[in-house]
This record gives sequence, C-alpha cells and structure tokens, in this order.
Amino acid sequence: MNPQWWTLFELIPVQRAFIALLIAGSTLPIVGVWIIGLNIIPVRFAMMHVALLGVALGTLAGFEPLLMGIVLCGVTGVALAPLAKRPAGLSGPMGLVMTLAIAIALLVLSLSGVNANGAFEWLWGSILATRQQDLVALVIIAGSILLVDWHYRRQLTLLLYDREIAITSGINANLLTALLMGIIAIAIAAAVRLTGALLVDALTILPAIAARNLGRSLGDMVKWAVLIGFAGNLIGFVMTLMLNQPPGPLLILTVGIITLASYTYRPKE
Amino acid sequence: MEIAWSRPISVQLHDVHFKYGDTLALRGINMSVRSGEHIAIIGGNGSGKSTLIRTILGLLTPHHGTVMIDTVMNTPATQQHIFRSVAWMPQRQHTGQFPLLVTELWQSSGNPTRAQQFGELLEVAQLHNRPLHVLSGGQLQRVFLARALGSLAGGNGLLLADEPTAALDFTGQATVAELLATIPSTMIIITHDRAMMQQCSRIYEMAGGQLREVTP
Repeated sequence: MNPQWWTLFELIPVQRAFIALLIAGSTLPIVGVWIIGLNIIPVRFAMMHVALLGVALGTLAGFEPLLMGIVLCGVTGVALAPLAKRPAGLSGPMGLVMTLAIAIALLVLSLSGVNANGAFEWLWGSILATRQQDLVALVIIAGSILLVDWHYRRQLTLLLYDREIAITSGINANLLTALLMGIIAIAIAAAVRLTGALLVDALTILPAIAARNLGRSLGDMVKWAVLIGFAGNLIGFVMTLMLNQPPGPLLILTVGIITLASYTYRPKE
Repeated sequence: MEIAWSRPISVQLHDVHFKYGDTLALRGINMSVRSGEHIAIIGGNGSGKSTLIRTILGLLTPHHGTVMIDTVMNTPATQQHIFRSVAWMPQRQHTGQFPLLVTELWQSSGNPTRAQQFGELLEVAQLHNRPLHVLSGGQLQRVFLARALGSLAGGNGLLLADEPTAALDFTGQATVAELLATIPSTMIIITHDRAMMQQCSRIYEMAGGQLREVTP
C-alpha cells in the first residue's frame, strides 16, 4: 500500500486520468442504459472490431487512424439502426459486423504491411495515458450524451420500452434509433481508446445492469447508473493509487461488486 | 366527465391484399366505416383479424389495395400523420423487461389528465406509479385502455383495438363495453366478447383472409 497516495494527484497524468474518469463515469453509464434498452450488449465487441478496421483503413490510406476508427464506428452504428425494426433485433447483426470487421481489418493490415499488434495499440489505451485531446473528445461525447438524454427523454422512455408503442405514439423511431446507435458506437470507440477494452464495461454496461436492478423507470435507471458509475470509478481510482496497482482490474472489481450487490435488492412490488 | 371529443373519422379499405412471405393473409378486403361507427371484427385464430387492423393502422403495408383514414391515404409518407389520428390498443401489451411507469405510458396519450381519469373509471388510477411489468394481465389491459381513451380525448378520432377485454372478467368486460358505447369516436374492435359486440353497430367476420358482414 502506498501510504502517501494522495501526493500522486500532483502528477499531471494522474490529474487528467482522474478528471477523465469522473466525466466518463458520470455520462457513459447513460449509454449503458441505452444499450440494455435496445438489447444490444454485444455492441461493445462489435464496435471494438470496427474501430480496429477503421485504424487499419486509416493506416492504409494515410489518414489519422484513430479518427478513422471513431468515424467508421459512428457510420456503422447509424447504418445498423434500420435493422432494429426486424423482429430479431440487432444482436445478430452485431455478431456479423464483429466477425466481418475483424476479418477485413486483418486483411487490410496484411495488405498495408502493418503489424496487427501495432494496430491494436492505437485502440487499447490506458486511463493513466489520457492526453489533453482525449479529454476534449471526451467532453464533446459526454455533452452529446447528456443533450440527447435531456432532449429526447420522453421519446426514449417509450422507444426503450417497446418500439411499436413508440412508433404508434408518433415518435420517429428510425431516426431516434439511428441517433442512439451513432452515439453509442462513437462513445464505445472513444472509451476503448481512453480507458482500454477492459474498462469500457466498468463505465457503460455494469452501472446500467445495476441500475436495471434498482430503477423503476428510465429516469430512475439513468440516475442510478450515473451515481454508480461516478462513485464506483471514483472509489476504484483511489484504490488504484492507494494499492499501487493497475487501474483496469480495480475499477472493474469496484463497479462489479456494486453491481453484484444490486442483485440483493428486492423491489416492493 | 365532460369531454369535447374530436371529430370522428372514417375508414375506407379498397381491395386490400397482404402477404407474409408466400402466405396470403388478407384477400381483397373491402370495408367502409362511417364517422362515429363502432365496428366489431370476429373470427378464428389465424384468420387475419390482427393483420387487418395492423394494416389499417399502417404498421403493415398492403401489397395491393388502398387504406384511407379520413381523407388521407395510408402510405409510409403519411404514417406519422395517421399515427397521430389513431388511438391504438395492441393485443400484446408488454414486451421485454425494460421499466416503464403507468404514468409515463399515460403521458404518451394525447391527454394524460383524461387518461388518468379513465384510469379511475377503470379502477387502475392507483397504479400510476407502478412499472408496467409488475401488473397483472387484466390491470395491464385496463391501463392500456385508459391510454387509448386518453388519446381519443386528446384529439384522435379513431380507436383501433385488438381484443381490448380479453384479459378481463365478465364484470370488467361489461364495464368497458358500456364505457365505449358512450364515446362518439369511430371504433374498429377485434373481439370475442359478447358485451362488446352488442355495443357495436356492425359486426364483420374474418375467415381465411376474407371479410364479410354478419350483423344480425
């Protein structure tokens, strides 16, 4: 244990990581709630692989690889949205996208002569390596998430409950699904770059799963998810500094234990 | 409860065909429903009743023929307008486990205050703060019915309902039938409930994808 762990906050990378985690921890769980509502939990894996394809294409074509990865994720998310109206939903297409993306990415990397591990390094970030531009990107993504949640809350409440109820209430479900899918895909790609693949779940799915156990409405779920995401990541990060261990496992464990504890809650109804 | 109901609207179907793959579910349906009429549709399982009502609403697009709601032809381009003119009560009222409060559902009707008042008449107003997934089948049906009636009170002139009383007991069925009989909006209701049929001015029967009037 590091007895003077708080002195680590004097280091700029620790400060940046702390700020990034607090911003991500209090906004990305909302994306997790949307993911659960749309029943697309495999979207994280699909988008990680699409981002890799973007990096490969960017490397081959001479564009900024990371930006290419994020843009390709956004485009893929929006392009998948029309399939949400099919009875089987989006889970199947997510698996297909994941498999195709990794296959094409490996082919493109081979053609461009880039080592596959090198391409992965573009994506697999660490919270302690957060750069100034990463923080700026995160603030933009977090702002977009909050804006969509605030502006479309009533429509989202119906869409995430039942697509048909939303449509017959006059909501443009296709447009709203496309908007959600685009933001979800971009947020995941950016979160993977920012925090690493393992930590994405601590920021998105786990707080949302716990919120589903505790919340009685979409509004409730968003509040719980944000609270758990914020508190879990804050506690996890402090433990990282105190125990002098890598952040990924400790953050996942902290949020994971909170999620596990949420299963003990029994609603009154 | 004094309600200024909006103008009831008419429905016209001309030679409507619909297929699921190679299976023809609707075979040349012609139907004319005047403004303010209450129509019951009966028929066996798989006869095409739900397909018909979903085609009228616009959730399914006919392969041939036309559906007119008031003066507007139901096409993908006019769908949003149609959805805002129709109060819809689906047969399957709940999917998944994502939470939605009763009060949130009522807010999606055109007139949440009226939906709440109809909820009182249907004895479900006290459930307003409960999530839908914890309600019984009968409670859920009453909650959705209150929403549909709130939509009618909010300006929609047509009610399309797919077995709206199937989960209710005999007393509940009679209460709902009496309530609907007092509402001047146009209604097309799929039902096997005798009390409901009795409050309708005409009865149609679906069989093998075809529709015929059987009003006694």
